[in-house]
Amino acid sequence: MISDLKIALSNLRTARWRSFLTMLGIIVGIASVVTVFSLGEGLKRQLLGQIDELGTDLITVRPGKLVSRGDSGQVDSLNPLALLGTTTLSEQDVIALQRSSSLQAVLPMSLITNTARSSNEPNREINDAFIIGTTAELPQLIKHRIPYGEFFTAEQQDRNYAVIGSSVAARLFNELNPVGQSVNLAGGDFVVRGVFEPFSSGIFSTIGADLNNALFVPYDVAKKVTQGRSQIFQILVQKKPGVGLESAVASTHGVLLVTHQGREDFSVLKQEELLDISSGIINLAAGFISAVAAISLLVGGVGIMNVLLAGVSERTREIGIRKAIGATNRQILQQYLMEGVVLSFVGSLVGLGVALAANFLLRVYTSLKPVISPSIILVAVGVAFAIGVIFSAAPAFKAARKDPIDALRNV
Amino acid sequence: MAVIELKDVSKLYGFGNATTLALDEINLTIESSEFMAVMGPSGSGKTTLMNLIGLLDKPTNGSYTLDGRYVSRLRPNQQAKLRRDRIGFVFQSYNLLPRLNVLENVALPLAYRGVTPMRRLQKASDTLERVGMRDREYFMPRNLSGGEGQRAAIARALINSPSIIIADEPTGNLDSGSSKVVMELLADIHRQGNTILLVTHNPELTRYANRVIYMVDGVIVNDEKTAIGQVARGTRRTYYQKPRMSDDEIAEGVSVLMREAPSIALKAKAKGRRRRKLSKRKYRQ
Repeated sequence: MISDLKIALSNLRTARWRSFLTMLGIIVGIASVVTVFSLGEGLKRQLLGQIDELGTDLITVRPGKLVSRGDSGQVDSLNPLALLGTTTLSEQDVIALQRSSSLQAVLPMSLITNTARSSNEPNREINDAFIIGTTAELPQLIKHRIPYGEFFTAEQQDRNYAVIGSSVAARLFNELNPVGQSVNLAGGDFVVRGVFEPFSSGIFSTIGADLNNALFVPYDVAKKVTQGRSQIFQILVQKKPGVGLESAVASTHGVLLVTHQGREDFSVLKQEELLDISSGIINLAAGFISAVAAISLLVGGVGIMNVLLAGVSERTREIGIRKAIGATNRQILQQYLMEGVVLSFVGSLVGLGVALAANFLLRVYTSLKPVISPSIILVAVGVAFAIGVIFSAAPAFKAARKDPIDALRNV
Repeated sequence: MAVIELKDVSKLYGFGNATTLALDEINLTIESSEFMAVMGPSGSGKTTLMNLIGLLDKPTNGSYTLDGRYVSRLRPNQQAKLRRDRIGFVFQSYNLLPRLNVLENVALPLAYRGVTPMRRLQKASDTLERVGMRDREYFMPRNLSGGEGQRAAIARALINSPSIIIADEPTGNLDSGSSKVVMELLADIHRQGNTILLVTHNPELTRYANRVIYMVDGVIVNDEKTAIGQVARGTRRTYYQKPRMSDDEIAEGVSVLMREAPSIALKAKAKGRRRRKLSKRKYRQ
């Protein structure tokens, strides 16, 4: 076994270029699968951290039936298409919820995407800005600090005020504290009232987008921009102290069922469930990308098979000699299997190295925080091992079955 | 005691019209500690016979008994194990693995036996000492001279202490000096009780053998015991007493041995005549 390993390694060394090219498919495959999964894992951890920040007493109401629940109310399955539908939430829902005795704060959030421009320097603009119409309770509900300026108050609901995310501040005004300057949104000028502290997770779980790129304006003003139609994409609800979370969820659900005339075209979600949904979507995406990357692994495996087959013909005489001095078919088989496994194993190690480097670069140059978990390493190495065995089986059998006399005659 | 016993062993290659008879009902008994030289023209079946005896091949017909054990129908793996433990091969072109150094090459048969690396290298080193190659242990095969390469190959053949050494033209690629060294080595191994089968074209080398057989067209046409140190009689007659080749024959590519299978060639002719008679008789009936 150990001598097989030594032989395999020395074969690798003598044909360095060929070995490297053979391993390339495995390297690319392993590197991309590991990177994609580590990105997904990183996102999930960020979401988890966010929920710790937000606290668990926050309830989110979303339009559409996002999840199916089992008998005991746990989330069974996820329906990501519901995220794409138009909103079914209305101001009636907000008003009805505000009357509920078990809830402390009810906060509608409406969403407009638009171009934001600095009023003084119109050439500075953000095309992918999104404008969130909301009410004064937001900072307190999501427990987020405003280091510069302040959030608009309940009395300022009709003013053209905007509180902006940190990257909006940087991109439009190129400074940390642009409070008092004005920003042009959807044809109107808004005074910057405050700047949010950077949101730790680039992508906020409840929206699925970067809140640092958002401008928060009063809900009523946002409604005016959209010609009086509200586009509520979610309602944040906070339970009263002393009320159990489950009962708050139940009463929210009950109230909404009444305003929607018994149709369950909305979802009432606890923070953990939101996390489940987000990680479900992340897993879906990661799984899909990985499936594509897995094709590279397959191609890598075929490459290994090809090179080993060529090696078998090339080393026919060597096989003959080994058999003449007493190698059994099984020992020849082992030697070639080992060679394939070493190729794919070393390939997977290099691939892991590449993934680590990619991780490092992503952490340095982007706001993403990918995490390589031990399980993904194990899976990657295991898959590479399996590929090595599977794809070197055919060449190994071919080598083992060679007739020693024919093999010796081969020059 | 008979080590090797072949009874009516035939070997056919190919099929249909392209069938060639490489061995034709060979009967051969080789005693323990014989040094047998096998001679004959190219294509006479010498190598096929050695491959059969060395368990690299199976006879088409007939039985082969090695050390009293019937081995002609063994499975490939059992053959491999017998080959490993009982038989050492020495080839014309040494057949050392180019990527392993001399020590590793010599130790290789032990690896297939499952001996631990340390022991294997130790034993390989001892065996190399025996063939006078201790100082070449870490050379790569390409850096060895022909004689050294063949001595390393002999060390590899010896390492499992096999009872039979099969040497297929071991001096074919060597100059006379190296040939002598290699042959003395084989003679030395023979003196220690091994059975040695030597295929050769060189009549001088029959001096080392105590039995010489001649093969023509898959048949053993002559089998003689000879004293060690003397060229066998049949060979002597063929090479030194029979008239040399005519120029025409050389132009046709006919070798002495092809034309002149010693003594028994006449018997074979007689046999052929008898066969023809037999077939004629059959035809008449």
